Amino acid sequence: MTLSRRDFVRLTAGTGAAAALAQLGRTAAIAAPSGSYRAMVGIFLYGGNDGWNMVVPTDDRHAAYQAARGAVALPRNSLTPLTNASYALHPAMTALRPVWDEGALSLVLNTGTLFAPLTKATYLSRPDLRPSNLMSHSDEQAHWQGLRARDAASDGFLGRMADRMPGGRLPPLISLSGSTLALIGKTAVPLVLPPSGLPGRSGYSTRDTAKNLATALLADSEGGPIMDGVRTTLRDTFDQADLANSVLSGGNSVARHFVDANGRALTSDIAAQLLGAAKMIEARGTLGHSRQTFLLSMATFDHHANQIQGSPIAGDHADQLRALADAMAAFHRAMQALGVGANVTTFTMSDFGRTYASNAQNGTDHAWGNNHLVMGGDVAKGGIFGTYPDPVLGGADDITNEGRFIPGIAQEEYLGAIARWHGVSNADLPYVFPNWQTWSTAGRGPLPLFR
Amino acid sequence: MRRIWTAAALCAAGLLSACDGSSDNINLADSRMTSGLVDLSAANAGLSPAQSQVTDGIRLARQTTFGPTPQVLEQISKLGTEGWLDQQFAARGSTYADLAVARRIDSCKDITCTRRYFSRTTVAMRFYANAVSAPDQLRQRVAFALSQMIVASELEVRSAGGIAGFNQLFLDNAFGNYRTLLKAVTLNPYMGRYLNMAGSSKTAPSENYARELLQLFSMGPNMLNQNGTQRRDATGGTVPNYGPDDIRGVARALTGWDRARIGNVAITNQLAGDDVKPMIPVPDRYDAGEKRFLGTRVPASASQEASIDAVVDAAFNHPSTAPFVSRHLIVHLVTANPSPNYIGRVAAVFADNGQGVRGDLKAVVRAVLTDPEARTAPRNDRGKLKEPVLAMVSLARAIGMTTDGFAFAMRDTGLGQPVMNAPSVFNFYPVDYPLQGSATLYNPASKLLNSSTVLRLHNMMYDWTVRSDAATPEFKAPTGYGAASGTRFAWTTWASFGDNVDAMVAAVDVLLLGNSITPGQRAALRTAALAINEKNSQVRARKRAQMLLYIAATSPQFLVDR
Repeated sequence: MTLSRRDFVRLTAGTGAAAALAQLGRTAAIAAPSGSYRAMVGIFLYGGNDGWNMVVPTDDRHAAYQAARGAVALPRNSLTPLTNASYALHPAMTALRPVWDEGALSLVLNTGTLFAPLTKATYLSRPDLRPSNLMSHSDEQAHWQGLRARDAASDGFLGRMADRMPGGRLPPLISLSGSTLALIGKTAVPLVLPPSGLPGRSGYSTRDTAKNLATALLADSEGGPIMDGVRTTLRDTFDQADLANSVLSGGNSVARHFVDANGRALTSDIAAQLLGAAKMIEARGTLGHSRQTFLLSMATFDHHANQIQGSPIAGDHADQLRALADAMAAFHRAMQALGVGANVTTFTMSDFGRTYASNAQNGTDHAWGNNHLVMGGDVAKGGIFGTYPDPVLGGADDITNEGRFIPGIAQEEYLGAIARWHGVSNADLPYVFPNWQTWSTAGRGPLPLFR
Repeated sequence: MRRIWTAAALCAAGLLSACDGSSDNINLADSRMTSGLVDLSAANAGLSPAQSQVTDGIRLARQTTFGPTPQVLEQISKLGTEGWLDQQFAARGSTYADLAVARRIDSCKDITCTRRYFSRTTVAMRFYANAVSAPDQLRQRVAFALSQMIVASELEVRSAGGIAGFNQLFLDNAFGNYRTLLKAVTLNPYMGRYLNMAGSSKTAPSENYARELLQLFSMGPNMLNQNGTQRRDATGGTVPNYGPDDIRGVARALTGWDRARIGNVAITNQLAGDDVKPMIPVPDRYDAGEKRFLGTRVPASASQEASIDAVVDAAFNHPSTAPFVSRHLIVHLVTANPSPNYIGRVAAVFADNGQGVRGDLKAVVRAVLTDPEARTAPRNDRGKLKEPVLAMVSLARAIGMTTDGFAFAMRDTGLGQPVMNAPSVFNFYPVDYPLQGSATLYNPASKLLNSSTVLRLHNMMYDWTVRSDAATPEFKAPTGYGAASGTRFAWTTWASFGDNVDAMVAAVDVLLLGNSITPGQRAALRTAALAINEKNSQVRARKRAQMLLYIAATSPQFLVDR
């Protein structure tokens, strides 16, 4: 089944069509890529990426965009155009243009943390329906990763997915950017790797029997769950390190794709992380993985000042989006070369969107709804999901006067679509997404992100 | 012993040429010390290790210092808990003041200069040199805890002078009043750059500092009971402490400040910002209109100073601030899972030190450390995981080390905790990071303990014990960072244990394992030591000590304080 971009916009815009959307979601996800292997690759943009400058309307709304955003507004003629779309990407994201043209990139507009569907009126009248502590980095990160919009979370959606996923010789949930809430399962423990690989265990030899016995006995003390957790982490690391390291440091066919348009090797941290993921995907057979889940990240998107420098198209944010786009495009080429272009889906997450209005220091402040990217050979061609908010400050979607937009799409509808594509069964969706009931009934449901 | 501290203080004061290895260190094999260690079991006769006075002395040392040393344990046993705290409240020795020098950002012509003056390295080195040997250990621990609640990071603002000046605030105010600290932080230019209060203008104020001041530095996002539990509304939801209008009001009240300029050049000169002196008012950027926030009203035409004071007062006096700050200090000094009653007792002292003073940090720290929950063995399901910095420095102090800190500053990034370079204003880890597999317990430092860091931590322990005889570059004095001494280990003192392996094992147990090993573990450690059979008795004793320290330092029993 294929639908035009306009159809998606129409479907998601009107409540009357919402039921059809949910129905569509249920069928669209069944189309299978070749083979049964699937990987999902989440990229968390810490600090709150300014998605309003990542995906920009090019039609009449650009005037309102420019008026509201002021100094940080990107001129229309500077943007990276997307064929047959009335949206464009940040000027620094040209590397993703061929991915769009190929039909392997989709846009998700104004999505965010929601406890229940909200309008401006219900937002104002029903504080009990809002996610707790909106606009707080830590709380909104926890909502994105824990999927409990009004409660503290002690585990995260990727960890809970891994609780129900087949294993392998290494954990199939792999982080290349440290430990974080999203990775904590009730039982599953992730593999956390530095992209550069692990060092060996200095001085270790199986023949040092006296030393090894003392080490083993010292690890065997009665200490309760915190001591147990440390013991398990040490043991698992020593057990897993050699294999993980042989994958990351050994020969591979994917590194050569991580170059820019001029053939120079990509040097950003996100490129290194995506390369690490690509190596683990290439080794999926060796590792015995039929499913893999990756979490990667970029930091310091919290641009309260100097988001742009010199001109609107230059500065820290432009550099970050360039690094992201370059690395994503390289990763996609690597996946295609491995023959799993349609078996891997890459997607972005972030604390929150930023204020549509800029401040006096060429920066933006914390807000709510945000735009995101989904990439992979199985995503809907030319997909644009959700509705761009009313771009007027203090307008229909703005809960303040600075452009903090109520999300039209809940994270469950966004991330749930990817999780289901990845293989989470209908029975397990409420386990992975505790608030699934709200987002799978009454006309709401996973976005039809896939072909 | 005085001689050691004198040497350490000289190192700390930057007179690093004095730390050339000629300085004495405590002689672990001193008869008084070894007999004390060997006779531990006798001293504790009839008590389980968890109950014994010696064990609580070690526990207090772990809570109040960067790791037990023979000297600290001796002082604690001599002075008792209160006496030790009094001694520590009075102690000084650590300082960054000499590094807190403002520099124009165009003042460097080469990379050596840039590394020295526009990175954290010299300040981080000083942090570690102090942590290893300066006597004001509790002041440093409290400063370290505060610096992980009120965070500014080299990741976004690279300025050695700024980092030094900012961190000096924590040393100076560790036992002072929290309001004084909050105000100093608010006007600090390094923080001003980090969270963009420097340059914030009435035309469209930045909300960054305003928000984090409330969320992270004072009251937290949700209304708390005095015992730290969340207040709940009728629907069971948490109750926010502030809304967007409060943030906006605070942000407006904080407009009109910027860094002073070196050489008094124009305020618009971006090259000459002073990262050290308190920020200065820029009246034409100040929003002089009426501001309302958090139940406070700042009338129109109030002065900039009055606006700042109103903001600091509102944050400082908020009822949630007492349990919020109290919990943070408990988590960083004692346990990540305090009972609500423990938080409540400490928060009550924050609210009133007994003499009607709010925010007296000395009284708060004393309450944290003398509380029954700190002074008894934790429940079996509790325990505090050492963060990498504490693991690293504890080992160094147990071995006996003199250092300029360079070796530590080269290692901490790989361990996930580069001091003064947190990934965001949310620190290296949050106090409520969950324990994997538990819906109720927290294990904050476990965010930094994963496959990625475990091997590096293990290898660091190995390199600094078994492999420490090698001429590794990390132990040499670096060039380009001012006076530096390199790192030296006091292996001769360990070698003087000779063939008394039982005494060596006892010392390792006391210094690294909290006096907790079982007879079986004791026997296995003894066997591992005896497996080393170098001919030379000095080398033999040294290598045995290194092996024991290595095995102990890589064990869960060392990594979890109980």
